[in-house]
Amino acid sequence: MIEAKNVSLVYENGTVALRDVNLHIEPGEIVYITGPSGSGKTSFLKLLMGIEYPTTGRLKVMKQTMSKINASNIRRLRQNIGPVFQEFKLIRGRTALENVMLGMRFLGFPPKKMHEYAVEALKNVGLEHKISSLVDNLSWGESQRVAIARAIARRPSLIIADEPTGNLDIDNAMNIMDLLVSFRDQNTTVIITTHATHLIEGREEGTFIRIDNGNLSIERKGEALV
Amino acid sequence: MKSIVYNMGYFLKEAKTLFKIDLTSNILSILSIGLIFFILALVISGWDIMSFIVETVEREAEINVYYKEGLSDTEISKLLEDIRSVEGVGDVKIVDEEESYLRMKDILGDEAHILELFEENPFSPFIEVQINIAESDVILSKLKQVENIEYIRDNKRVLDRLNDIVSVIEFVGILVVVAVGISTLMVVSHIIRQGIYNNRDQINTLKLLGAPQPFIDFPFILEGFFLTLIGGLIASILLFVLLNYGYGQVELAIPFIPLPAADSLIRSIVTFTLVTSAILGIIGSLLGVAKQGEGFRG
Repeated sequence: MIEAKNVSLVYENGTVALRDVNLHIEPGEIVYITGPSGSGKTSFLKLLMGIEYPTTGRLKVMKQTMSKINASNIRRLRQNIGPVFQEFKLIRGRTALENVMLGMRFLGFPPKKMHEYAVEALKNVGLEHKISSLVDNLSWGESQRVAIARAIARRPSLIIADEPTGNLDIDNAMNIMDLLVSFRDQNTTVIITTHATHLIEGREEGTFIRIDNGNLSIERKGEALV
Repeated sequence: MKSIVYNMGYFLKEAKTLFKIDLTSNILSILSIGLIFFILALVISGWDIMSFIVETVEREAEINVYYKEGLSDTEISKLLEDIRSVEGVGDVKIVDEEESYLRMKDILGDEAHILELFEENPFSPFIEVQINIAESDVILSKLKQVENIEYIRDNKRVLDRLNDIVSVIEFVGILVVVAVGISTLMVVSHIIRQGIYNNRDQINTLKLLGAPQPFIDFPFILEGFFLTLIGGLIASILLFVLLNYGYGQVELAIPFIPLPAADSLIRSIVTFTLVTSAILGIIGSLLGVAKQGEGFRG
């Protein structure tokens, strides 16, 4: 699914975001990335989505070499990713359902199926009662759950969630984590970044990546992993 | 293609949202586009009407030959033969005083009662000569040499003047078409660029979700299409009202002027205006979305 060999990312202003990253992630794997703010977590996700390109090294995401990828392949790659952005990136003036469906409209789903998947995803995140609410009127936590519903409704091969639990209370945060992790059962790779280490401390399966100052340390737990 | 069909409702809704986001600018744009197209429709109508008049006059090109008074029947017959023998001359026939009177009565219509003011028929007989308009100069010079002709009335000067007017209208028409084209494209592409700027966050999100460029562009293209189409519709309504009113006025004031049928003229100009507005709207929108550049792409 993801293969990184000696990948580094240095921004134009000289800031080193990632150093010499070597990593191999299989389909269906669950990956937790932790680290303090500014450690390089979001930069790593940007590399996976083709928002940034590696400065050196070779990064392959879903068989696409990211340094050589063209615009149309980036689009295709992103269509297979369910992203949950830190700042949600919901479309204002539209309902929760419209926002979730928006992520699926160009993926070739028939309208009925699209509606069914979107409603199901909103139910999964506990927002069935807010389907017709404008996202402008939703609370911070509800908006976050709409963003998650948008990511999961499109049945992606890879879910990338950047701080998906944000400022949620511990119970809701745990529920969201469990929901995201449950997608590995469908052979979906799930990558979650979080600064809240207590949310992953008790978890017994997965790849645990700690990023500090652009350097990665990786620990793998559980039988299902490579 | 399938994705466009599936999402047509979404695209229309998005176009409506885009329209509402910048409501004042969009309404002003529609009004200015409407006025621009109204000017275009007026010029094209004038062009059409003048061309029709010139064509009609040319088709019915004829000259009236007045002969000397007191000619005998034999002399008149000889004169007819002499005129027929000139190259480029078609039908030749005598219009007597009575027919001249009746023709004028027809032309004057409701105003024909003024002829009753004359105690005697004021019209003289003449010879109506159909000619090939292209050879009118040669025919006229030959006719002037024919015996017993007193005076020839031709409409060449009128035709020349009409042709001059048509040429001017044609020139102005081409300028107006070019001006309308450029200004419409500029207005529409500017509005679209403004819409893209206002919606840059949404566009960015769609790109991060992997939306293809045509999917992102389509609502903006629809917005531009509807802006100009509504502008064209406003111009068409104004033209319809003005032409109906104008025709009524012209038919009252100068009933003998040959005008094209109002219905077919309005139908053709309205069709032209709507099709042109739709095409310019799409091209303007495409220019607008093309100019958003690569900054938002990928």
